[in-house]
Amino acid sequence: MTHLGALALYLAFALAVYAIAISLWGVVRRQSLWIASGTQAAYAVFGCVTVAVAALLHALVTRDFNVEYVASYSSSTLPFPYTVAALWGRQAGSLLFWAFILTFFSTVVHIQNRTKNRDLMPYVTATLMAITLFFLGLLCFITPPFERLAFTPKEGSDLNPLLQNYWMTIHPPSLYLGYVSASVPFAFAIAALATGKLGDTWIRTTRRWALTSWFFLSVGNILGGRWAYEVLGWGGYWAWDPVENAAIMPWFTASAYLHSVMIQEKKNMLKVWNMALVILTFALTIFGTFLTRSGVISSVHSFTQSGLGPYFMTFLLLVLCVSLGLLLYRLPELKSENELDSLLSREAAFLLNNWVFVGLAFATFWGTVFPVLSEWVRGIKITVGPPFFNKVNAPLGILLLLLTGVGPIIAWRRASAKSLRRNFTAPLLGGVTAGVLFFMLGYRNYYALVVFSLAGFVLMTIISEFYRGTRARQAMLHEGSAQALGRLVGKNPRRYGGYVVHVGAVMIFVGVAGSSFFKIEKQTSLNPGESLEAGRYTLKYTGIKNSEDDHIASQAAEVEVFVEGQQIATLHPEKRLYKRQNQPTTEVAIRPTLRDDLYVVLGGYDAPSGLATFQVFVNPLLSWLWIGGLTLVLGTCITMAPNPAERQALASARAQERMTEAEEVVAD
Amino acid sequence: MKGKEKFFVGVLLVVGAVGYLIYTGIRETSTYYLTIEEFLPQREALANEGVRVAGRVQAGSIQWNPKDLQLKFVLGPFKEEAGTHPAGVPVSYQGILPDMFAEGRDVIVEGRYESSHALMAKTLMTSCPSKYEPEKSGQQSAVSSQ
Repeated sequence: MTHLGALALYLAFALAVYAIAISLWGVVRRQSLWIASGTQAAYAVFGCVTVAVAALLHALVTRDFNVEYVASYSSSTLPFPYTVAALWGRQAGSLLFWAFILTFFSTVVHIQNRTKNRDLMPYVTATLMAITLFFLGLLCFITPPFERLAFTPKEGSDLNPLLQNYWMTIHPPSLYLGYVSASVPFAFAIAALATGKLGDTWIRTTRRWALTSWFFLSVGNILGGRWAYEVLGWGGYWAWDPVENAAIMPWFTASAYLHSVMIQEKKNMLKVWNMALVILTFALTIFGTFLTRSGVISSVHSFTQSGLGPYFMTFLLLVLCVSLGLLLYRLPELKSENELDSLLSREAAFLLNNWVFVGLAFATFWGTVFPVLSEWVRGIKITVGPPFFNKVNAPLGILLLLLTGVGPIIAWRRASAKSLRRNFTAPLLGGVTAGVLFFMLGYRNYYALVVFSLAGFVLMTIISEFYRGTRARQAMLHEGSAQALGRLVGKNPRRYGGYVVHVGAVMIFVGVAGSSFFKIEKQTSLNPGESLEAGRYTLKYTGIKNSEDDHIASQAAEVEVFVEGQQIATLHPEKRLYKRQNQPTTEVAIRPTLRDDLYVVLGGYDAPSGLATFQVFVNPLLSWLWIGGLTLVLGTCITMAPNPAERQALASARAQERMTEAEEVVAD
Repeated sequence: MKGKEKFFVGVLLVVGAVGYLIYTGIRETSTYYLTIEEFLPQREALANEGVRVAGRVQAGSIQWNPKDLQLKFVLGPFKEEAGTHPAGVPVSYQGILPDMFAEGRDVIVEGRYESSHALMAKTLMTSCPSKYEPEKSGQQSAVSSQ
């Protein structure tokens, strides 16, 4: 099987080269048959990569320890789901998985556009295959996944225990899906630049892809946070580690793009900016992979360091040169047709939102690469930790939260005093109420109260938007309130789905503010029968239970939790020893409520004396972070719902382009 | 003001604000990142500055008191020549031990060096050497105490 897999990869490599060449040559020679052949080749590349993935999966599932990859990341006692997850657990496998998703998406794109976008498609094929070629090149010549060992070990060395967690099985694929789907808008942007068809077609064609990418990046980041929270046992979920930054930077620029694209569609502005954002987002996905693979920047939980860094860097430079070159070449044709009328307008709010998103991406980028830069410039490595990112990104985030409220209700072009008063009274009241409410509840911190007030403000703007739309339908069309609300969203899923996403974002802000500013942390060693207090909780340690199977040996402490003298729960924080790797790990016990999370870590256990060391966190409002994440994901699904108005706009954009073409032909 | 000018005023404001935040952020939060070999000769010059030092836990140097969570050990160089006992820096840390903390492990210590005394660690990070891939750094885990 593994020979077949390796062979399939070589074949895929050759086919990708062929697909690029024949597509471009077909354009030059105007041979539609050649272009069609390029498309067929792209399908075949997907077929070959699928065979390779199947071969590696087969080796993992059958636990063929003669294959080096299997021996390193699997073992005979590893539970089945994790043998599958080992496919993307490490370097070669994750690159193969990447190539698999990319070629799958390429296939979907080609099927979607069988009869559409004839001018763009050859370039789209060539771009997607060029990206595929890079990954296939790595797989064929640099880190082959099917290497065999000279001998067959009796046992594999097991998947890292920290990765043996259900979140970890879905978090990396989700991030990869997000990373890889950013290639599709990028390919269309390159095609638009190459052909000079710079109208709205490429933007509208790839809107869903951009959303898909954003969706998976969001899910990936949220799951990554959740994994860190449950597994790493330090009481937090986000540490601004380079690996995390690598995943959040493209998310920032993709978020900017999703907003600015509306301005292009409505106002025909920001064409260059949108191109730049699509290119930047794609470049950041490659940069992110570079960061996690190269070991240039030391990370707390990095992937294997390997020699892949230079290849990624070269590829990144190539991508930037080609795309920025094309962008400069087309610059005169991308002039915007409208200008900004007033700083008090929705356009201005959207612009500011974009700059803040890009500012967040830049600040994160700067902090991440600062050690490398300082070493170049001053000869000494200087790092900045989480305090830097919090200091810089928190004010920007708060500004963003404010704009989330302002953007949707401020008027286009120029807001009048009257419209400002009418639209902003209720939200401002909502904001003040929220601030006072949280103050009364005992949340006394200036920064946090600003966030809570803004959260109230934004929530109120969204509620009044829904309310107004529903009332208008009720009055004009005599619909019942539920029906009116349903149709309101159904008619314009993009807008109202977007509002739901905003609600999710507000909850995330609340969760982050609550858990950052009001966190309680305690560390103590206790003898059986002793108690400790953390916030409103009293924890009583009663004893240790030992258990053992083939795979894991565990020591679990029993901790009874009391609030005001009433026992409300029993928790079992645990220390585990994964036998195969002889690695101890911490299994945290978490008791989440909407008000706060109780988070208990068993830090150590001294068997003779029975003395156990505990670390206890109380994280207020943290559940809202996960609820907000779910809401955000749900909202994104709504925005992707079929949308008749959208289809019409795309059709008319295409018709417009054909008209201009026809005129050009006549003029010639 | 025309649209273009307004646009540029806006850009300047945002760029200025982000630049200012980054500048002050770096100034207030930056930490020297050194290996123990780099740190040893200049430790007195770096006294009371935030530092992050990578080194190896010296064999036989760990003193751990589980009752009050006090940890003391010597952070030594990565390469120890046989027979010699090269200089290291005593480290003092209060908090629970990271899962992978042990003699001979590579660790990163973040904190302040108190002149001619010890490195007062705020954060202690360990990295685990993976058996089958000795050249790779593998997974690391962090524990910090505030």
